[in-house]
Amino acid sequence: MSTVENKQDYWSYVKRQFKKNKRAVFSAWLVTILLLIAIFADFIANEKPLVFKNETGWHFPIIKNYGVQLGIAKWPTDWPSGRWNSNDYDQAFFAPIPYSPNTQDLNNAQYASPFETQDVASIRWRHWLGTEVLGRDILSTMIHGTRIAFMVGLVSMTLATIIGILLGALAGYFGDDRLKFSRATLLWIILLILPTYFYAFQSRMHLWSNAISESFLKFLFQLFVSVLILFGFIFLARTLSIPFKKIPWLQPKVNIPVDIIVQRMIEISVSIPSLFLIIAIVAIAKPSIFLVMAVIGLTSWTEIARFIRAELLKVRSLEYIEAARALGFSQTRIIFKHAIPNAVSPVLIAVAFGIASAILIESFLSFIGIGIPPEVLTWGKLLSLSRSAPWWFAIAPGFAIFLLVTLFNLLGEGLTDAMDPRQKK
Amino acid sequence: MFRYVLKRILIFIPTLFVISLLTFVLSVNVPGDPVEQMLGGGINAAEMGQSSSRLASEKAYIEKRKELGLNLPVFYFSLSSVAEPDTLYRVYKKSHKENLDHLIQMYGNWSQIQAYYHATQNLENAVLELKTDSSNAEAKIGLRDQIFVLYNQSNSSRIQNSLNVISDVFKKTPSIANIYPQYEAVSLAYQDMTTQATTYKNYIPTFHFYGTKNQYHQWVTKFLVGDFGISYQDGRPVKDAVWQATGKTMMISILSIILTYLIAVPIGVWSAKNKNSTSDQIVTTALFILYSLPSFWVATLLITFFGGGDFFEWFPTYGLGNDYDSLLIKAHHLVLPLFCWTYAGLAFVSRQMRGAMINSLSQDYVRTSRAKGVSERMVLWKHAFKNSLLPIITLFASVFPMAISGSIVLEIIFSIPGMGKLAFDVLNARNYPMVYTVVMFSAVVTMLGYLVADICYALVDPRISYSNKKS
Repeated sequence: MSTVENKQDYWSYVKRQFKKNKRAVFSAWLVTILLLIAIFADFIANEKPLVFKNETGWHFPIIKNYGVQLGIAKWPTDWPSGRWNSNDYDQAFFAPIPYSPNTQDLNNAQYASPFETQDVASIRWRHWLGTEVLGRDILSTMIHGTRIAFMVGLVSMTLATIIGILLGALAGYFGDDRLKFSRATLLWIILLILPTYFYAFQSRMHLWSNAISESFLKFLFQLFVSVLILFGFIFLARTLSIPFKKIPWLQPKVNIPVDIIVQRMIEISVSIPSLFLIIAIVAIAKPSIFLVMAVIGLTSWTEIARFIRAELLKVRSLEYIEAARALGFSQTRIIFKHAIPNAVSPVLIAVAFGIASAILIESFLSFIGIGIPPEVLTWGKLLSLSRSAPWWFAIAPGFAIFLLVTLFNLLGEGLTDAMDPRQKK
Repeated sequence: MFRYVLKRILIFIPTLFVISLLTFVLSVNVPGDPVEQMLGGGINAAEMGQSSSRLASEKAYIEKRKELGLNLPVFYFSLSSVAEPDTLYRVYKKSHKENLDHLIQMYGNWSQIQAYYHATQNLENAVLELKTDSSNAEAKIGLRDQIFVLYNQSNSSRIQNSLNVISDVFKKTPSIANIYPQYEAVSLAYQDMTTQATTYKNYIPTFHFYGTKNQYHQWVTKFLVGDFGISYQDGRPVKDAVWQATGKTMMISILSIILTYLIAVPIGVWSAKNKNSTSDQIVTTALFILYSLPSFWVATLLITFFGGGDFFEWFPTYGLGNDYDSLLIKAHHLVLPLFCWTYAGLAFVSRQMRGAMINSLSQDYVRTSRAKGVSERMVLWKHAFKNSLLPIITLFASVFPMAISGSIVLEIIFSIPGMGKLAFDVLNARNYPMVYTVVMFSAVVTMLGYLVADICYALVDPRISYSNKKS
């Protein structure tokens, strides 16, 4: 019981400390606002009216569109499509920015400047940040780009956190001396490595590559199936080894130096110049936003693993873990229920900084034009268009990248300060 | 200490091995065919031309492939399914190979697939042997298009469709009836392939061992003796190209690191001395903003504003000037890139410097020396500064790789022919020998950076020892 109370105390302490830091609180608010913009981008900038009235009554085309995309609704044939703003409605209310990222306003093509008069019906239709060469509204693209930026940051860091926590926890908790297999189990594991690889991955390679090019959910499903097969083989190895344990020579336990292995893995992936690697992977495969996320996640887990490992090395000899062991709890339970929650705080910091750098990497990749499919509009891509555009073009997308990156860095700093006991006065 | 360095260098070996495997796996999976690229797309052009020229170019293709060692198996061993023949790597065209791979996944009967592939080849040869005249010119073009589809399609309805089109062509042009049997053979082979499918074979693993005659082994053994191969693009030795590029990147990186430290250390000390004053807060905020500015944005803005966009044309924005240019011209070229290279590191280092100085200034020995009347300058530089050097030196470990990877971003924008730009260009051109070498080089450079930082760390702080102490 006492650990739970301590934990609550600790978190309320962190909260108090965090609130003292005005910059961090401010950035937390701004991030929330930007996140809301990302979530509701379709309702903020859209060429379709939020709601309109025609002879058949009131309609909500933006919401309908979600249904159509999910495949649960059909696009009504009597609705205006194509040029939404030139249609005659009985009544219509448009989004604050009445343009979608790919709406072409031909009257204002060729970089209509935000500082000059534009060929628009009223100020309601003004392009506040100007247009690009085909007359597409920049502000609208910026708003929809927020979504990609957040998605890349969050998804890739989720992946990195999962990998980092798993490997870091293994290394920290087991160290070099606590994971032991009998020779029989080890023998079966070695024997089954190649078949496992074959059935879990190689023979499913074409399914994987199809899934990656189709959708993220399908990819996750294939990943899940592969992991399931993997666990099946682990189980098989354990079961098969039981009768073999009767042979005396196969009985002795062998020590697995988990910590050394994971540390070497960290060292290796730190020495690989990650940007080179990311460009290499992304340049090879078909452009896909999920691939970019996956690759960024796969190259940025080391920091988190390090934190978790260090924390668990400290924690594993503490009394309450010893107590849990003495009570006979399973290793998995001890790791995930007792040890990891205490190592969360440094991980949060690493995640905040990690999101900042993931956003930066993604925008750089779209800036040099690799990895992101052409139909996805991102801040980085917008920035890359600025090379052949007037000077004002580069300001907004660059500033947006800068802003989001700075906010996450500030958040990370605020967390660092709040969790540092030395700050206590 | 010596043992520690030795240990670190020993760790290099597995690390480099893993990196070499990674780059190798990556470059083998790159879509596109390097041989075709080297021959300048001649293969595709010849596919449309006369049979003799096509045969000649095919021969050239096979020879080039042999010369590059690409006809060998990829690795020491392979784990594959029974359905996959271990001779698939001998199929010489990458696109054909990929298509055959798909067919194997779908039908799993190699002998029938092989028969189908050979029948298609026979048909193609027969079509090419035909003497072109006015009566069959159009038919010939149509047949070639369809044969191209057959080579590159695994989708059954597409194949069926293209077979139907071919049979229509034969119906329309009686003058080419003499090669109709070849078409029938293809059609039959296709029927066999689809009806006698043995998909289950895809789920039976087999293991092949190829020995040392494989692409990876050849590359590694050559790499170890310093023979990095020949660039596919221009036939230059890779060593020269990479060496030149490394030189450029290292020059700018080292220049920018020196600049960074020269500016950052005084700023850090100064703002630590005036801790929490208004000017310190302004500087700290400014540095934080600088640190978060994405360098490619700054570079774009600098080019737009100072590189002859809509405003001033003060600095060149392309390359580093020619070799014979004077130092002044080169320096002129360097201004913008160097600025971009430096500012982020500058903010980073001075923030750390400030933190370290504040930490040392609050130590007891500083108070003691102040109390005994040591001048403020001495306290600052002799006592506090010396003790805050430690974190600054460790920073080198992260500043150095940062400069190297930063090189990709900035070299692409400023068109500087360094490692980053080379890596980018070479990857786009699928120039394998260069890809391996560039990635390996940058890994070695990064690791050396860490090693140097660790050694400095130990030298500066005698409390740190790298003896075998268990934590």
